[in-house]
Amino acid sequence: MQNEIIVIKGAAKRFGRVEALRGVDLTVQRGEVVVIIGPSGSGKSTLLRCINHLESLDAGTIQVDGISLDHVENINKVRAEVGIVFQQFNLFPHLTALDNVMLAQKVVRKRSREESEKIALEGLKKVGIPEKAKAYPAQLSGGQQQRVAIARALAMQPKIMLFDEPTSALDPEMIKEVLDVMLALAKEGMTMVVVSHEMGFARAAADRIIFMDEGMIVEETTPELLFTAPKHERTKLFLSKILH
Amino acid sequence: MPDVERPEAAIEKRTRLAHEPRGEFDSWWFLLLAVILTIALLMFLKPDPFQRIVLFLRDGIWVTVRITAVSFVFILVVGLIGGLGRLSKSWIIHGLASLYVELIRGIPLLVQLLFLYFAFPQVLDAVGAGLVKLSPSLQGVGQWLIDVKPDPFAMAVAGLTICYGAYMSEIYRAGIQSISKGQMEAARSLGMNYFQAMRFVVLPQAIRVILPPVGNEFVALLKDSSLVSVVAVSDMTRRGREFMSSSFMSLETWSMVALLYLVMTLFASRVVAYIERKTAFAK
Repeated sequence: MQNEIIVIKGAAKRFGRVEALRGVDLTVQRGEVVVIIGPSGSGKSTLLRCINHLESLDAGTIQVDGISLDHVENINKVRAEVGIVFQQFNLFPHLTALDNVMLAQKVVRKRSREESEKIALEGLKKVGIPEKAKAYPAQLSGGQQQRVAIARALAMQPKIMLFDEPTSALDPEMIKEVLDVMLALAKEGMTMVVVSHEMGFARAAADRIIFMDEGMIVEETTPELLFTAPKHERTKLFLSKILH
Repeated sequence: MPDVERPEAAIEKRTRLAHEPRGEFDSWWFLLLAVILTIALLMFLKPDPFQRIVLFLRDGIWVTVRITAVSFVFILVVGLIGGLGRLSKSWIIHGLASLYVELIRGIPLLVQLLFLYFAFPQVLDAVGAGLVKLSPSLQGVGQWLIDVKPDPFAMAVAGLTICYGAYMSEIYRAGIQSISKGQMEAARSLGMNYFQAMRFVVLPQAIRVILPPVGNEFVALLKDSSLVSVVAVSDMTRRGREFMSSSFMSLETWSMVALLYLVMTLFASRVVAYIERKTAFAK
């Protein structure tokens, strides 16, 4: 088994006049936790969304677990292997927490009702809210909703988990419960790409930190080096703004 | 803490708007009851002509109900296809769906029905004659097109479906667009294809949004079905005209026809309101 699970080469993407990505190369190893930071509009979310083809590249290539993302028939294959957690949770409001976690298992993985329910309940237990199985998203707090969203993605047994600012829409007191779940996941050896400014999480879990600005990777480093010895001026400036 | 055992508790807790009914049976049911009582009273107090009228209209009532119900099923399907077509990224599909909606919305239903019943057969004749002339192998098809006689009921259903399908397309489109993009993204990111995401995630939510306008369309369709009386369908309105022309009792006939339509439309809108309450979910 090869060790490189995500290989991005020369990724470029523009939205109208805005160049969101300007030639990004990034390789992620199996089991690695990569945290992407950078000012808003730097292309970090776009890069993440390109990995499971929620956005398509204008130029460059992405390979996920050896599958190239340039053929339409490959996209669903890749998506089933890559879980994503969104800033706005995007739970299905017409379904209970349990049904949210079960739906794709039944529809995509073709699991039986009993099997999906068993996996869903295990998943909800893992994120710490088994008692909310029958609750609808509107009855859950933001932190609980995000944990259901993580369980929903994990139930597909993905090889990679992507997190797109998973705590940015949360009230401060709920951030920790979500980060704890992510931390546990990282300890289990899940390959994770996380767009987040939670420096505590980065310090505790990240193998690598990537600083992006204006659609390019400016600096790639370890958490320790980032805080003690950032190389680039832009990185220093950015860090001075987010670390108070 | 929210009541986890009963998710509907969250809905009940929502502040009611002033015009919202309080119980299962809102006060509009009484209006329906009053109309039914009026009909019963008229038939009881003056059996002649009112009982005679109702007996004469009976077949027509059934035709009106059937034509509305059958058309509505087709309209829901055509509307869904049209609505998805309007949202399609392919410009051909989008263009065709938009053309359909724009053209049909611009022509009065009465004119559409008259065209379908009286003019369309001529089009078929011309096409059939052309096919016969073109090649002997097409003679069978051509002759069939010339010989086929328009069935009034089928033509009426076709006319109502084409017309209301266009309106319904717009309702579906607006309903689907009202569901946040994140829902489709979340479904697709879990590996669902477009149709699975539509069926299991987007449409179940959109249906709750479009239920009120769809209910309105149903009531409007019920009333507009009276227009099919001009194309030889013996619906309630046509039966009313027939009774009137033989009895010359205009006031009695049209009052009864109006009351019977009211029973149907009031009942239909009560059912819609009931379904709306049943399918509401906490947002």
